[in-house]
Amino acid sequence: MATVRPTGSVRWPAVRAWAGRLRLGRLGLRSRVVLTFALGAFLLSTLLAAFTFAFTRSTLLRQRETAVVRQAYVNARQVQDGLRSDPSVVPDLLSGLGLPGGSRPLVCYRSACTALSSAYTQAILPDTLKRRVADDGEAARMRYALNGKPVLAVGIPLLAVAGTYYEVVPLDDISDTLRSVGASLIGAAVITTALGMLLGLWSSRRVVRPLADAAAAASAIAGGRLDTRLEPTDDIDLRGLTAAFNDMASALQQRVERDARFTSDVSHELRSPLMTLSASIQVMQARRDDLPERAQAALDLLVADVARFQGLVEDLLEISRYDARSVRLVRDELLVGEFVRQAVAVSSLPGTPVSVSDRADGLVIDADKRRLARAVANLIDNARIHGGAEGVRVSVDVPAEEGEPVGHVLLAVEDDGPGVPVEERQLVFQRFARGAQAGQRGAGEGAGLGLALVEEHVRLHGGRVWVEDRPEGTPGARFVIELPAEEA
Amino acid sequence: MASPDTTVRATIAPVGTRILTVEDDERIRTSVRMALEDEGWTVDEAASGEAAVDAFAQHTPDVVLIDIMLPGMDGFELCRSLRRNSDVPIVMVTARADTHDVVAGLEAGADDYLTKPFAPKELSARIRALLRRAKPAGPGHHKLVFGDLEIVPDEGKVLLAKRDLHLTKTEFRLLCELASSPGKVFSRESLLDRVWGYGYFGDGRLVDVHIRRLRTKVEADPANPRHVVTVRGLGYRLQS
Repeated sequence: MATVRPTGSVRWPAVRAWAGRLRLGRLGLRSRVVLTFALGAFLLSTLLAAFTFAFTRSTLLRQRETAVVRQAYVNARQVQDGLRSDPSVVPDLLSGLGLPGGSRPLVCYRSACTALSSAYTQAILPDTLKRRVADDGEAARMRYALNGKPVLAVGIPLLAVAGTYYEVVPLDDISDTLRSVGASLIGAAVITTALGMLLGLWSSRRVVRPLADAAAAASAIAGGRLDTRLEPTDDIDLRGLTAAFNDMASALQQRVERDARFTSDVSHELRSPLMTLSASIQVMQARRDDLPERAQAALDLLVADVARFQGLVEDLLEISRYDARSVRLVRDELLVGEFVRQAVAVSSLPGTPVSVSDRADGLVIDADKRRLARAVANLIDNARIHGGAEGVRVSVDVPAEEGEPVGHVLLAVEDDGPGVPVEERQLVFQRFARGAQAGQRGAGEGAGLGLALVEEHVRLHGGRVWVEDRPEGTPGARFVIELPAEEA
Repeated sequence: MASPDTTVRATIAPVGTRILTVEDDERIRTSVRMALEDEGWTVDEAASGEAAVDAFAQHTPDVVLIDIMLPGMDGFELCRSLRRNSDVPIVMVTARADTHDVVAGLEAGADDYLTKPFAPKELSARIRALLRRAKPAGPGHHKLVFGDLEIVPDEGKVLLAKRDLHLTKTEFRLLCELASSPGKVFSRESLLDRVWGYGYFGDGRLVDVHIRRLRTKVEADPANPRHVVTVRGLGYRLQS
């Protein structure tokens, strides 16, 4: 049987190795779809969040810096103008400046630095900034952390008075803004991932539904409803699957029906001539006494072998019904003791002694009485052929010990024959099996379908059959049928 | 397996009893006729359904034996066509013992069936069983009344709400068996034995299908039977 590699598995070696490391292959299709959707949503939303965050941050900072720098230049000019007219009023100058958003001004003039607050001395400025502004005489700005809080420092040289003007602006508010933006973005990413997972769940259901339909249809077909088909679909991707499945189902149905019809036709074709034989033989038997002795002997042979042929045809038809799986048991609840006595009474040895144990006598089996009686009759035929008619015994008992609950019943047929060697005990139930004792069988009798049919019948009844030695060392074979049984 | 138990208590004398066998296979027809004639029956033959309809009108047989697989009008159709105006006992012969054929044959109106190849002695036993008359239900019971259902065994009459019902012989005998002990539950096995003369290995479907057919006649609403009642797991009983 050809196996089809599942398509849709990863093709590129690198990705396959990666997927292998993640053990995606061990997950079900649905889990994989869900995981893929969630992963995709997570990556996409994280990327977008990071990009948004970076963009927001740089925009906010740029705007703030531009505003701060512009104001600082205005303030620096004002300080420079003030110093030029009256260098002694630096603190007044500082307090008169426009200082938005908690800016701290600092003026260094003639080796003294003046600030509005004593906390803001020259020491809070980074050295690199001071060097650039004071030593190189260039305006500069710098972001750094002051006491763990982000600040922006702007330094402008006051060239006309040989001083420097600094402004330190806290950026806390921007950090706060950015923090809340970040939190929102993380929240959005989490929600997006969850939504991705839900979408994955929904679409995986949608993807898997046709597969589930196909699986249900396949089970229905296997269960015997051969006319089961998938609904035709407009979906371009599923059309192929549906069409292929339905074609397969049709082919299977045709084949099974053809086999069943063949069996039925063979049955009819074989039974019709047997009908003529059976009726004609009866006409001849009614006139047996009028026949010469040789013709009588020939008639007896004819009668015996027509009966055997008839049995063989029945067995063959029954076994082909098993092969075509068209056997339907006609079940009834049967009292096991009564059933076995009746089955023995219609067998080839109606006088066979039957012993039914007290515990087994009240048990009920759910069985097709004709088929099971056939199984018992076949075991009796087998025993008669191997051990002779006198030695055949039938017993019915339960496998459970005294006091245990009864779940099964054992029907055993024993004979006086040589028994079945251990290595042949499986073999005897095969069709047309011939054991080592084939030569001991009556001319032409034996090899057939009898025991194979016993096994099929018993198996269909949920039981099993085996052969063992007779107990206590008595020579002979003991064939046992074990069937599920209940107390009546 | 030997043939099912076919003990028939009442003896029917074959003399003068006509059997129409409908069978397209000439060799089977001839051999079965010879065997049945040996048993003492008078046998008429028909090779097709159409010929059987004519032969039936001409000979008015006591029993008809129909092979299901016939060319043209098949056995089921012939059976239905005969049933339209006759209660003659019909035995279906099938080469296939599938559930479908047997039940379809019984539902078409057959009283019993046999599977090819059968022994002609077996067929004779079946015919005798079908020809047995309904036993009177007991002394002094000229008329049995179950609500709106009345049975007159001696006259072979059944009335539902004062209207005459047409029952086949087998349906009538089945009804009389149930009426012999009103209210008593009869198992399928005991009905098989009493009506058809089958033993332990008789086919219970015979009873089921005939009960179904009987209900379509004696029940006002066959889906909810009031007279012929199923007792789950046990059998059937007749009540008012």
